[in-house]
Amino acid sequence: MTASQTEPAPHSKSRFSTVLPYLLVAPPILMVFGLIFFPALQSTLRTLTDAETGAFSLARYEMFFADKTSVTSLIFTIQIALESLLGLFVICFPLALYLRFNTSRIATGVQMISLLPMFVPGIMSAYALIRFVRGRGLFETLIYQVSPLLADAYYSPYVKPEGIVIGLIWEAIPFTVLILLAGLRQLDNGLIESAQDIGANRWYIFTRIILPLMRRSILIAFCLNFISMFGAYTIPYLLGPAAPQTMGVLMQRTLQDYQQPLEAETQAVITFLICSLVGLVYVQSVSGERVRKG
Amino acid sequence: MSTLSLHQIRKQFGDVVAVHEMNLHVNHGEFLCILGPSGCGKSTALRMIAGFEEPTAGDIRIDDRSIGMLPPNKRPTAMVFQKYTLWPHMRVYENIAFGLRLHGFSRKDIDEKVKGALELVGLPAYGKRFPSQLSGGEQQRIALARALVLQPKILLLDEPFSNLDALLRVRLREELRRIQRQVNITAIFVTHDQEEALSLADRIAVMNKGRIEQLDHPSRIYEQPQTLFVADFIGVMNLLPAHQDGGEIIIGSYRMPVPSGNEYSGDVTLAVRPEDLAIVPSGSDAAWNGQVEHVIDLGHYRKVLVRTEHMGVLKVYLPKAVDVREATTLALQPTRYTIFRDHQTPIEVHAGSVPQLSLQGMA
Ligand SMILES: Nc1ncnc2c1ncn2[C@@H]1O[C@H](COP(=O)(O)OP(=O)(O)O)[C@@H](O)[C@H]1O
Ligand SMILES: [Mg+2]
Repeated sequence: MTASQTEPAPHSKSRFSTVLPYLLVAPPILMVFGLIFFPALQSTLRTLTDAETGAFSLARYEMFFADKTSVTSLIFTIQIALESLLGLFVICFPLALYLRFNTSRIATGVQMISLLPMFVPGIMSAYALIRFVRGRGLFETLIYQVSPLLADAYYSPYVKPEGIVIGLIWEAIPFTVLILLAGLRQLDNGLIESAQDIGANRWYIFTRIILPLMRRSILIAFCLNFISMFGAYTIPYLLGPAAPQTMGVLMQRTLQDYQQPLEAETQAVITFLICSLVGLVYVQSVSGERVRKG
Repeated sequence: MSTLSLHQIRKQFGDVVAVHEMNLHVNHGEFLCILGPSGCGKSTALRMIAGFEEPTAGDIRIDDRSIGMLPPNKRPTAMVFQKYTLWPHMRVYENIAFGLRLHGFSRKDIDEKVKGALELVGLPAYGKRFPSQLSGGEQQRIALARALVLQPKILLLDEPFSNLDALLRVRLREELRRIQRQVNITAIFVTHDQEEALSLADRIAVMNKGRIEQLDHPSRIYEQPQTLFVADFIGVMNLLPAHQDGGEIIIGSYRMPVPSGNEYSGDVTLAVRPEDLAIVPSGSDAAWNGQVEHVIDLGHYRKVLVRTEHMGVLKVYLPKAVDVREATTLALQPTRYTIFRDHQTPIEVHAGSVPQLSLQGMA
């Protein structure tokens, strides 16, 4: 900067270089505002206005919460998201722990496999899952080979809530493993060894040392997965039951099949609000951590 | 009474042998230092005692009971690490109390023991702090308290002070020794810093390339190194490649006697401490002549670098009373030297017959 002040020629260039970063981030920011915030705001305002008089009104929300189908959908979606998250952590935590504390070649292979779902487009994996888990599907056939009796008892999760949960977990595994693994890799071995040294077994090390120190990574994985699961469409639509429906499916139906754009908009705003709430928790936890550290 | 012994302990990582068949016996209340350059296998040896590494072969015994089968959390050892390893989400009090809770002590006992441990390391008022609010030295003291509060049989320390500045290192070293004596615990201290080892240890095990080269009292390690590596690694040493021809050592045009019974012909190395080189009157027969290249004043003595024709640059320590100037010539003769040859006990020679050379004559 000092150099550019003494030499007049490159001055304009240096001014450009101070503006450049803003220019570079401008398009995505404008896009976020233009494509998301502005329409979201418009929608929110529309749902809060009486269509005839133009006055402020909560009528649409009263209607939403009076309607059994939509309330069931809302609760169902929250339930599905929480169940999927529970399953996700039950699967991903041991996996991440294994990958963190095992350096064998097998572990490298397992890590690659755990990332595989990331490279399969959602719709393909949904159909693959259908073929695999539906009645008389690949899975049942395999069981049948082992024991026909067991195959009789097979309960296919296809077009059931469990189908959605399985699909959502499948989709979220790579991201979750990556986040948890990154968090685990930040834990110094010495922190764990010193706990072991004074007598802690695996369980205490996990619950008293690893879990508390992983708080932030867990929160990130929880919030971001909740948001994407809550708003998921493809998996619930293809793998889930006809009723109850998740919010994503309900919105689509309301808009396309029932041609009720205003109702769909209300559902969307409610979905958006719940997701923003979780997003807020996420932002707060991340920034709170920074303040405490710095 | 807690003793520790290692029997033929070996550790191999793939093709790398980190520790070769190692034997060691540590007495109760003894402070033993494992000293060696970086990568020589010190930490690996210590981590096998703690249980963090499984020996490829051999047996580890505490009080004559094998602990090789026990996981780290079941061993009566406690370790202080080089890195700061206090748990950042727990206050100091909780860090120390954690192990006691796991062992089912009552609340009252825990409180008493934690306070006692904090007192022992000289930080009685620090219980409420988080580790991030402590300096490096304080963190290591708390780590020591955390290790000692469970009254382990063996205390293991892996370069615990190497991340601290020199002054603090010396202070903590002294404090550690006081605490170790006070609680009368058997301790093994790993370091690459010879000054640290020489000032702390009852005995030192000098390690090189996975082997203990010498296990001895600090003064003997310095005075009577048993291998060329130890001679070179501990303190300052002039190592002079030489040739032995029967009963005589030959370096260039110089000849020196070998005590009878040590006749040999072949290459040897002569090791002479800088303080074992004395000035002799110039012109005397066996004197090593050289030119003073550099004089460094080190307070109570002078370090003098003398360039010689056949022996390169010799390091010589001279008392302040001796007047030496750069670019003058000097005649030197060793009062004591050691002859090393491959895989043989070194031969120590006290050159009592050095023609009198006394400093008084020079001063
Ligand atoms: N976990 C490990 N895997 C492979 N090699 C190791 C491992 N730990 C130590 N080593 C090797 O063993 C040797 C001794 O290491 P270490 O005991 O840490 O030395 P020191 O503590 O004396 O510096 C080194 O060559 C090091 O690279
Ligand atoms: Mg080490």
